[in-house]
Amino acid sequence: MRSSYPGFVLRRLGQAVVVVLLAYIATFVVISVLPGDPISGMLNNPENGFSPEQVDQIVSYYKLDQPVPVQLWESLSRFLTGDLGVSLRTNLPVAPMIGQVAASTFSLAGTALVIALVLAFAVGYGAHALPRWAGRDLLRAFPSLFLSVPNYVVGLLVLIFFSFQLHLFSVIDSETPVGTFFAALTLAIPVSAQLAEVIIANLDHESTQEYATVARSRGLTQAGLFVRHLLKPASLPVVTVIALIVGELLGGAVLTEQIFGRNGLGSLVQQSVTTQDTPVLQAVVSLSAVVFVVVNLVADLVYPLLDPRVRLTEPRARATVPAPGRTPGPFAPSGLSTTKAG
Amino acid sequence: MKIVRPVIRLGTWRRKVALAAVAAATAASLTACGSASSGASSDGRITFLLDSLGNSWVPNTSSISSFQGNVYSQIYDKLVYVDDQGKISPWIAEKWENNKDYTSFTLHLKKGVTFSNGDPLDAAAVVANLDYWAKGQPDQGIAPISLFPKTYAGAKAVDATTVQVSFSAPTLGFIPTLGYAGSDLYAPEAIAGSAKKQAELSTNYGSGPYVVKSWKADDNVVLEKRDDYDWGPEALGSTGPAKIEQITYKVSPDAAVRTAAVQSGQAQVAYNPTPQQISDLKGQGFSVHTPVYLGFAFGWALNTKTAVFKDLKVRQAVQHGIDRDEIIDTVYTSDWKPATSFFNDTVPGVSDQSAEFGYDPDAAAKLLAEAGYRKGSDGVLAKDGKRLEFTLYSNPYLPTSKQVDQLIATQLGKLGFKVSVQTYDVITYGEKITVGAPNVAAYEVTRSIGDASTAANVFTDADSGEDWFGIGGSDATINKLRDSIRAATDPTQRDADLAELQRHVLEQAYYVPITQIVQRPLLASPDLKGVKTDSTAFAKFAAATIE
Repeated sequence: MRSSYPGFVLRRLGQAVVVVLLAYIATFVVISVLPGDPISGMLNNPENGFSPEQVDQIVSYYKLDQPVPVQLWESLSRFLTGDLGVSLRTNLPVAPMIGQVAASTFSLAGTALVIALVLAFAVGYGAHALPRWAGRDLLRAFPSLFLSVPNYVVGLLVLIFFSFQLHLFSVIDSETPVGTFFAALTLAIPVSAQLAEVIIANLDHESTQEYATVARSRGLTQAGLFVRHLLKPASLPVVTVIALIVGELLGGAVLTEQIFGRNGLGSLVQQSVTTQDTPVLQAVVSLSAVVFVVVNLVADLVYPLLDPRVRLTEPRARATVPAPGRTPGPFAPSGLSTTKAG
Repeated sequence: MKIVRPVIRLGTWRRKVALAAVAAATAASLTACGSASSGASSDGRITFLLDSLGNSWVPNTSSISSFQGNVYSQIYDKLVYVDDQGKISPWIAEKWENNKDYTSFTLHLKKGVTFSNGDPLDAAAVVANLDYWAKGQPDQGIAPISLFPKTYAGAKAVDATTVQVSFSAPTLGFIPTLGYAGSDLYAPEAIAGSAKKQAELSTNYGSGPYVVKSWKADDNVVLEKRDDYDWGPEALGSTGPAKIEQITYKVSPDAAVRTAAVQSGQAQVAYNPTPQQISDLKGQGFSVHTPVYLGFAFGWALNTKTAVFKDLKVRQAVQHGIDRDEIIDTVYTSDWKPATSFFNDTVPGVSDQSAEFGYDPDAAAKLLAEAGYRKGSDGVLAKDGKRLEFTLYSNPYLPTSKQVDQLIATQLGKLGFKVSVQTYDVITYGEKITVGAPNVAAYEVTRSIGDASTAANVFTDADSGEDWFGIGGSDATINKLRDSIRAATDPTQRDADLAELQRHVLEQAYYVPITQIVQRPLLASPDLKGVKTDSTAFAKFAAATIE
C-alpha cells in the first residue's frame, strides 16, 4: 500500500518532535545522575571558606536544591514555551548564546560540506575516468590518506602555511570568509574521503552495468557518460552518507574550532560538559537532534527524486526485492525501500 | 543514538588534544624557522591571545579568574596598588589610617574620580563595593569574594571622600586585600540587580583606563582607552590616560597557535605559553613575563596519619631527597625559581627557610637508615616488612605537575622510595583527592591566599580548619603561633610569628616545598614596552606603549 507524501512528511515530523523531546529529557537525566551540582561544586572549594548556609542560599537561587523531577518539570515546561533558560556557567540567556555559536558552526560545517562534496566528486571522477598514466590509481589512495591524517595536523599545517606565512587570513579574525574557508577545508578533508570512497565504489559498479556499456557503444565520451548517466545513480548513496556525516561535521568541528580560534558549538559543548551546564547542554543536544532529523528527512525526500525506482511504502508492506542492478545495502533510508518502478 | 554524538565524541577529545600538543610543538618549531616578523601594530592597537575567557562575567564570580582578570585589570581600579613584591601604595584611596587594634580603618579617597557611566567614585560607591565583596548577594545568586576578610563588620560613608570600615576582630590583612584580585571597584549601578544582569560585561562599568567597546561571550572582548582617565597609581609610572588605543582579548585555545601568532605579528601578546615555548622564543627577542603569584609554593602537605609519613625522619628524607634545581632545568626554564618556604617569595611575611629542606641525598639516606629502613631485594626500602611507598596524585590545576612528579619519583627512587604517579582529570580529582584523606599521603598544594595569616587557619583543625597535615590540634607550637597570628595587632610581631611558623612547619617536615608557582606567564612582542604586573600577576597596559 502506497502512502502519500504529505502523510509521510507528517509522520516523520511527529517522530522528530518526539526525538527532540526525548533528547531534551535524556540530557537532563544524564546530567542529574552526576553527583553534586555545578554551583555548590564551585562554591564548596575549601579555598573559598564559605559557610554551608551561604552556599545553600546561592544554590537555592538557581533552584538546584529542588527534587530532580521538579527541576525536570520546570525545565520541560520552560522548553515547551520556547524558553531555553539561563546558562549556569555564564549567567547569560541560553538562546542568544547558542544562536551566536551555531551561526559560526553552521557556516563552518556548511562550507566544509560543499568543499567535501567538490573534493569527493573530483577525486571520484578522477579515480574513475583518468587514464592510469595520469595517476588514476594514485587518486584511489587519496581517501585512505585523507582519513588517516588527523585534522588537527591538517589544521596546524593550514594555519602555518596560509595564515602565518602567506598572511591570507588571521587567527585574530577567524570568522572572515577566507578564515572560514580554510577552517572548512581542514574539516572537509576527512569527510571528503568517506564520500569519495562511496562515489568511487558506485561509479565502478554503475560503469559495469549494461546501460553504461550500451551508452559507451553509442560513442558517448567518458565525461559525457559520467555527467549524463553515472552521476545521478552514483549520487544516491552519497545523499544518505551526507545525512550521516552532518553529525560528524557538527560534533567533529570542535578540534578545528579550537585550532582556528573559532567559538562554535563544539567548544560550547566542551565547556558546558566540564561545568555541568545543564540548560546549555539540553539546548545544544536538542538543536543537534533537530538538525539531524531535518537532514535525514530531507535526504529521504530527495531520494525518490534522484531515483524514480524508490517509492514510499508503508513500513509493513516494505518491498525487499532489489531493483535490477542494485542491492539495497546499508544506505537505504528508513521508511523507504526500493521497489520496481510501476 | 546519533543525536547525542557531539557529546559522546568528547570522550576522545582529551586524547586528541594530547596528540595535538605533540603536533603543535612540531608546528611551533616549524614556524620558528620561518620569518619572525616584528609584530608591530602601528595604529596603537594590540591583540592579546588567551586560552579562554572563563565563564561568567558577574564581577564577584569572575574577578579572581585567571582569564577574566586580564580584562578587569584594565577596566577597573582598586583602592590601593600592591606591586609584584607586595609593596602597598595609594591609588583611589590617597591615604588611610587604622585604630590601635586594627579593627577600624579610615580610607580617604581621591576627588574627581568617575566611573565610565559618569557616576562619581565616592564614599557611597566604595561602601557598596565593600559590602558586595564581603557579603555577595546570595539572594541574587552571587557569592562573596573568597579571600575577603571574614571579620568584616561593615562600612559607612563619613563624607563624600571618607569611608569608615569596621571589623569584628583585628584584621591586619585588610589594606593588602584591597589590592588583590577581586577587590575591583564597580559602579554601584553595575552591581545592583540579578546575576543575569551582572553577567552583561558592557554595563559592568568601572573607573579604569579602558572601557569595554564590544564583547562576545567565550570569544573576544575589545577595550578602548578612556581619554579622561587621570587617577592611575603613581607606582605604575603613569597616572594619565593609556597610550595604547585599543586592546583586543581574543580566545585561541591552542598554546602553539597563540605563540606562533605572536611570532608572525598577528598578535602582540600570548597568554600561558608553555615553558618549552618560552625557552624557544626568548632567544629571539620576545619578552617573557613569569609572575609568581601570591600564595603557597607548589609542594606537598604530608599526611602524618599515614604509615609512611608518621615518622619525622622519613618526612625529612623526602625534603632532602628532592633536587629542585634539576626540576627547574628539566621541566621549566630559568624563569622559574625553587621554593624557599611554603609560601612563594612574593608573599609579605615570607622568610627564606631553604636551609631546612635543601637537596642532600646523603643526609636523606642517613635519615632513612636511622628510621630503620633497609633495602629489600627489589631495591626498595622496607621496615618490618612494609615497603617505603606512596602515591602522588598530580595536581590537575598545575599542568606541569605530572612531569615534576615523575622526575621526583625518579629522584626519590634512587634513595629507595617507591613512588607511583597517578593523574586524574579535574572533576575526578576533586571527588577522590582531598587534603588529609587517608588515601592521600602527599597532597599537592596550589593555593592562593589573601594574606599570610591564611596559613594559620589551614594547618590545624580548629574552627573548621582544613588540618592539612593530619595533626589536628596536637602540635602545641603551631596552635600557639596560629592564635597569636590571628589576634595580631603588631605587624612586626606578626611577621616574627609567621617566620617562626614557617621554620617550625618545615623543620617538622609537614610541608615539602618544591618550586614557586608562576602564574599567568606572558610572551610579548618586542615592540610592546612598559607592561607591568602587580601582586595579582595580571599584566597592566595602562602605562604600556607599542612602537
